[in-house]
Amino acid sequence: MRLASKSALVTGGRQGIGRGIVEAFLREGATVTTCGRGDKPDELSDACDWHRIDVADPEQVTQLAEAVGPLDILVNNAGVQVEKTVMDSTDADWDLVMGVNARGVFNCCRAFLPLLREGGSIINIGSISGKVADPEMALYNASKAFVHGLTRSIAVDHGARIRCNAICPGWIETGMLDAGFALADEPEVAREEALKRHPVGRFGKPDDIAEMAVWLASDAAGFANGQLFTIDGGLTAASPLQPGLS
Amino acid sequence: MSGRIEGKTAFVTGGAGGIGWAICRRFAAEGARVICADITAPGDFPPEGVEHRSLDIADESAVQSAFARLGAERDSLDILVNAAGIEIEKTVEDTTLEEWNRSFAVNVTGTFLTSKFSLPLLRKSEGASIINFGSYDGFIADPGLAAYCATKGAVHALTRAMACDHGPEGIRVNAICPGYVDTPMLQSFFTGEGSGGDGKSIDDLQQAVRDVHPMRRYGTPDDVANLVLWLASDEARYASGQLWVLDGGLSAQVQQMRL
Repeated sequence: MRLASKSALVTGGRQGIGRGIVEAFLREGATVTTCGRGDKPDELSDACDWHRIDVADPEQVTQLAEAVGPLDILVNNAGVQVEKTVMDSTDADWDLVMGVNARGVFNCCRAFLPLLREGGSIINIGSISGKVADPEMALYNASKAFVHGLTRSIAVDHGARIRCNAICPGWIETGMLDAGFALADEPEVAREEALKRHPVGRFGKPDDIAEMAVWLASDAAGFANGQLFTIDGGLTAASPLQPGLS
Repeated sequence: MSGRIEGKTAFVTGGAGGIGWAICRRFAAEGARVICADITAPGDFPPEGVEHRSLDIADESAVQSAFARLGAERDSLDILVNAAGIEIEKTVEDTTLEEWNRSFAVNVTGTFLTSKFSLPLLRKSEGASIINFGSYDGFIADPGLAAYCATKGAVHALTRAMACDHGPEGIRVNAICPGYVDTPMLQSFFTGEGSGGDGKSIDDLQQAVRDVHPMRRYGTPDDVANLVLWLASDEARYASGQLWVLDGGLSAQVQQMRL
């Protein structure tokens, strides 16, 4: 049990990667609180506390911090995506994507930094899309680059007391990935083509990311700070121009 | 927690060095059978599960023989760690061609040779992992380490290339890029020619370098072994083609402003 006697908050634990991290932390012995904009999902473990909040709202995050109290681990996972270019993005799209993905991470870091115990670990979920652009994901890509920059800043400013790193997942089998493929002319063809670009021959699973989160949350990662750790099955190690694939 | 690489076979080059020895001990503690390959013998007696074998990784026939022997003993190899490396503390102008070639022979050609001759055994593993040693110096330079920086950049590119080529065969390839880790190599860097200038004592210099780190300390060999273990284990089953910087936040900063 690598996280025994540690307490963690994971934002956005309803589904996907956040859900995978919640379950992995519970397996490793942590006390876990999670949150989301809706009610607690029926199938979520009773061992885990649920708070209904919107991380984009600083007031609600302040209240969450008062309710949750001291922590060892903060995972800023809550995120949304809108599949549009800059030209098509509306003000409402900006408020939604930047509100949750950028301001939400800032809100939680600001509210919980004073509550993190010495040696604590902040784990932000960035994305490969914050390093290389996915087409027609302008606000999402930009919001993840914000997360990467904030991660380094917190690591540098607060490194003497806590660690802060980001995990940059590649293409993970979640509702978000399905939503991306659904926009293609031929979703099944798009899925096959995407798969061919992964050297390990598969998409990721939420648990693949959760394993890195467990490591970063644990004391084994005591010297890991200020880094963006990509887990993408080798996707971004390869040039996007690959002969034989199109 | 133990047994995270139970029953796996690991081959660690530079296994008798500061970081390599920490890796060998950790692997053995987690249930692996470990070959500690190094041109020099370890200073301590190897713990149970660790076997030292003398090897010059820059010598093609020696590397070929080492893996032929391993193939005769075992069905497969699960983990290859290329931790052997040397550091010439000079600028390009002061580096001799012999020093340059020796740097590449050990740091780059050595990694190439062990990978080349171990691939047939790695393919037979249920899930093989190669862990190379790049460096934070492969991204941003430390002064007076020209050949070292260049070799580490080469290791980074080789890591990505091998991840592309051998991912479909079930082999993951990653590199760890340590920052300042407290090893004999680091101590040699501090006491070497050109260090401790400007009237500063070695201790003052070391403290100044620690203070530049957001975490206010160097890494330890065990810090590095922790990440090697993770990358070697099945927990890292989707991690491939990446350069894993482990530097306590040093390179997250724009400049070393506090020196």
